[in-house]
Amino acid sequence: MTETKPLLSVRGLTVTFDDFVAVDGLSFDLHEGQTLAIVGESGSGKSVTALSIMRLVTLGTRAKIADGELLFRTPDGSVIDLVTQPEAVLRDIRGNEISMIFQEPLTSLNPVYTVGNQVAEAVMLHQGLHRKAANERALEMFDRVRIPEAARRLKEYPHQMSGGMRQRVMIAMALSCDPTVLIADEPTTALDVTIQAQILGLMRQLQDETDAAVMIITHDMGVVAEVADDVVVMNRSKLVESGSVFDIFERPQEPYTQALLASVPKLGSMAGTTKPARFDLVDFQ
Amino acid sequence: MPESLQPVSPDLPAGVSGIGAAPGREALRMFVRNKAAIFGVFLLTSMLILSFIVPLFFDRDPGARVGGPHVSPGSEGGGLMGTDNLGRDIWTIVIYGGAATLKIAAGASAMIIFVGLSLGALAGYYGGWVDSLLMRITEFFQVLPGLLFAIVVVALFEPSYWTITFAIGSISWPQLMRLTRAEFLRIKNLEYVKAARAIGASDLRIITRVILPNALPTLIVSATLIMGAAIVIEAGLAFLGLGDPGSLSWGFAIGRAREFFTTNWWAVTFPGMAIFLTVLGLSLVGDGLQDAYNPKLRGR
Repeated sequence: MTETKPLLSVRGLTVTFDDFVAVDGLSFDLHEGQTLAIVGESGSGKSVTALSIMRLVTLGTRAKIADGELLFRTPDGSVIDLVTQPEAVLRDIRGNEISMIFQEPLTSLNPVYTVGNQVAEAVMLHQGLHRKAANERALEMFDRVRIPEAARRLKEYPHQMSGGMRQRVMIAMALSCDPTVLIADEPTTALDVTIQAQILGLMRQLQDETDAAVMIITHDMGVVAEVADDVVVMNRSKLVESGSVFDIFERPQEPYTQALLASVPKLGSMAGTTKPARFDLVDFQ
Repeated sequence: MPESLQPVSPDLPAGVSGIGAAPGREALRMFVRNKAAIFGVFLLTSMLILSFIVPLFFDRDPGARVGGPHVSPGSEGGGLMGTDNLGRDIWTIVIYGGAATLKIAAGASAMIIFVGLSLGALAGYYGGWVDSLLMRITEFFQVLPGLLFAIVVVALFEPSYWTITFAIGSISWPQLMRLTRAEFLRIKNLEYVKAARAIGASDLRIITRVILPNALPTLIVSATLIMGAAIVIEAGLAFLGLGDPGSLSWGFAIGRAREFFTTNWWAVTFPGMAIFLTVLGLSLVGDGLQDAYNPKLRGR
């Protein structure tokens, strides 16, 4: 799979907030049909990386993309650097070719519009469809993300839906324009475990159907094992280790990766003990 | 069964009330149940009918003499509300004054809402130097003593519909601008705005279609109260003799009759009642909207 030309190639990405370096010289490739997981603890720069690819990181913050290239292969085959593109070009790419799903399905839908309306808006924005065609597209997307009674659900407001359903709506919105890259920033963190499994399963299925590249950001090793083909491990703004999911789980090379994997509790490992186990604090400076 | 133990909304089956409804419809339901707010709506519609519909069937000149001067209400030749010092019928003055007053109030409110919303939206959304610049301008207008500034503006130019409207509009927008800015500051960092940006929405689209509808409940409440304030300021100006002589507003009628207040109370009182009832109606509607959109603020 890695022989093909990458869809998105991140080269030496460096993002700073004033003096603080949030992402430091990060490089990785994302290929068609591939699922890449970016893992790391809180504050390691995962989300900043995702927002940088969307070029949304500088909005309303003091963040700056200080260095690096974000080479994106557009559907017509030309390669552009997202870092240098003007806002108008980026607006065409956002939602259309690169989409993003956010962590909080409870708050990432606009409370004053019906969910169907919101999906239709996304379609109208990029595909120049009329309201009627966009509504049909929204219905089709609701069916695709397996929302039961899609026609009725279209007319509901976000607060009338459960968290899992709302995340499905978000996915429907993100995929409504057939993007080639889907970035999911902790898409299941706010959901409970059974819903998590459903959403991850759905994302897998949809990826098989559309052949989109998925970049999933998570700190949950269970999610990584479930969906990822390849893994990028980040810590303190830097790339620690990257490789296929089997290599990372079977033969982690770096001590940080080993510690990260060791920190995942195993079912039954606490049997017979009454007190919580101590976690060895390791400092990898 | 004591009454307090009855279900909150016995007229609605479970699942239909509360969380089931659309946000706007739910607010409407709350509003309709609010007796004070409904009374406010009643007051306002009455005043509107009195000012705009009654004159259509009531062909009289508010400037014409109908009888002797200072005839008290109810007495021979005094009509419903008596006559003023020149024998003009107060009832006619009240009816025709409504349109003049409400037109100025509506014009001034439109200006306030337009200026306040657009500047507030720009300042709140873009932040940075745009915000600093717009806030300094707003603060400049805010520290001006409002009524005094309006007096100067009207006195400098001829008192006419447009100068009065402009004067009232120019002193009252900062409050709405700051409120709009605060709402935009709050909403622009919410996830759904980020999500809208991530599907490629432009700034204009985010301001008008994503943030503004969410800020609207708060702003509507404020706009209602601003309209009441505009009526009061207009009355103040007219009372001081700075009303438009071409259109006899309620305030103008009070100002004209103030010299005779001790002997001829009705010439001041009835136009004053009209102002009072209209502003009260607006305030009750404003409070009702606030309760309807934000039930947590109830009883505060």
